[in-house]
Amino acid sequence: MPQFFLNKRLIILLVSIIILVALIGFSLRDREQLTWPEQFLKDTTGFVQQILAVPTGYLTDFFENVRGLLDTYEENKELKKRLDELARLEVEVQMLAKENGELREILDKKDSLRDFQSIQATVIARNADRWEELLIINKGKTNGVEKNMAVITANGLIGKVKSTQQFTSTIQLLSSMDPTNRISAEILRGEDEESIYGTIEGYDEKRGLLKLKRIPFDAKVKKGQKVVTSGMGGIFPAGLPIGEVVDVEPDEFGLNQTAYVKPGANLYDIKNVIVVKRGMIKPDAGGNAEEEEEE
Amino acid sequence: MKKLLLPLLFLFLFVFESIFIEFLPLKMFGNEVIFVPRLLLIAILFFTIFGDVKQGILTGFIMGLLFDVVYTGILGIYLVLFPLIAFLVSKIMKALQANAVILTFVSLVAITLLEFAVYEMNYLIKITNMEFSAFLEKRLLPTLILNLLVTIIIGYPLKRFFEKYKKEIIKE
Repeated sequence: MPQFFLNKRLIILLVSIIILVALIGFSLRDREQLTWPEQFLKDTTGFVQQILAVPTGYLTDFFENVRGLLDTYEENKELKKRLDELARLEVEVQMLAKENGELREILDKKDSLRDFQSIQATVIARNADRWEELLIINKGKTNGVEKNMAVITANGLIGKVKSTQQFTSTIQLLSSMDPTNRISAEILRGEDEESIYGTIEGYDEKRGLLKLKRIPFDAKVKKGQKVVTSGMGGIFPAGLPIGEVVDVEPDEFGLNQTAYVKPGANLYDIKNVIVVKRGMIKPDAGGNAEEEEEE
Repeated sequence: MKKLLLPLLFLFLFVFESIFIEFLPLKMFGNEVIFVPRLLLIAILFFTIFGDVKQGILTGFIMGLLFDVVYTGILGIYLVLFPLIAFLVSKIMKALQANAVILTFVSLVAITLLEFAVYEMNYLIKITNMEFSAFLEKRLLPTLILNLLVTIIIGYPLKRFFEKYKKEIIKE
């Protein structure tokens, strides 16, 4: 009975389309936690990935070292120049830190937005289909990683924790297209001038730059100024470096400006990361928390 | 023996895909390119062709689910596409001879199909805002070139492996 088979196939097709739509809808919802089968699968594969990541890590390191040898001379020259500055800076930082501590004591203000605890982690895998840039790291809930924590490398902010399992977590990079991904940022100017505030919203894929929006129209933003997190969003601590302003444009209505920020950290070549836990208490998630904000 | 090795092979390819990416260049001839290795799909297709159709589709289903959960976080896309493409290829291969050229061509067609479908889905749910022309030259073309090479290299060992597997099943 060919007709009967035709019907059966049609039914299978229809049912699978319904399942597809339902599942996509289910997983696109803003979920507080993944379901336990998902967590279990991710942890189990994470275990295998971790085993395989060790030898490949050595291999990539080796290739990088060979490549690095070629630029050693140039780099050495540059680094020596910086080293002289570093000694001076170190003394200055120490003095400032001491002074800051003393002043805080006088004011009796103990906690700061800048305080954070860090969790070191290693990248064990990345999203294989490369549509959304996601990384999997080898630290999870048992190590104190929680959803929405900031993730940095030595050079600056790279993203936030998207979901956590017991032993692994998934990180969403700044370069992924997520409209709910907003970071309250601050443009640092000279010593006497006040900082300018804005929010990082979106990523210009063609130029590889972050968009820093909602800067007041009269603010004078210049190229080369440093951008850091402001900590006003309620989830990230203040003072994590993001990058450098490379371009400023008025936005479409002329009421605000948009600055283009070159991320300080390389958003592709990432091996070791630091998950940052904010020291100050978080405000309630309702309303003004930056990551939960809807467009 | 082969029966035990089979799940291990698929699991290995699954994990290896994400590690393989680290070795691929970001730029080629001054253009930004995205190489996506599709080892898993190639293995599923070869399994469907040389092994067993039903088991091939089932493997596609399981690996698709795993891919969705672990890598993309959006359930359903690969879960449906892997078995669907395996099914279509099994139908196509009934009409065609299974020689090396045709096999390579069919797997490239399957990869194109997968990339298109995933692109459309991701565009629909706003994971990406890549334009169609950019998708063609930045993503599809490099991916096809990479997978052509991959198919040529791993095609024959995979074929031998699955043929032996089939013999073992028939014996039992």
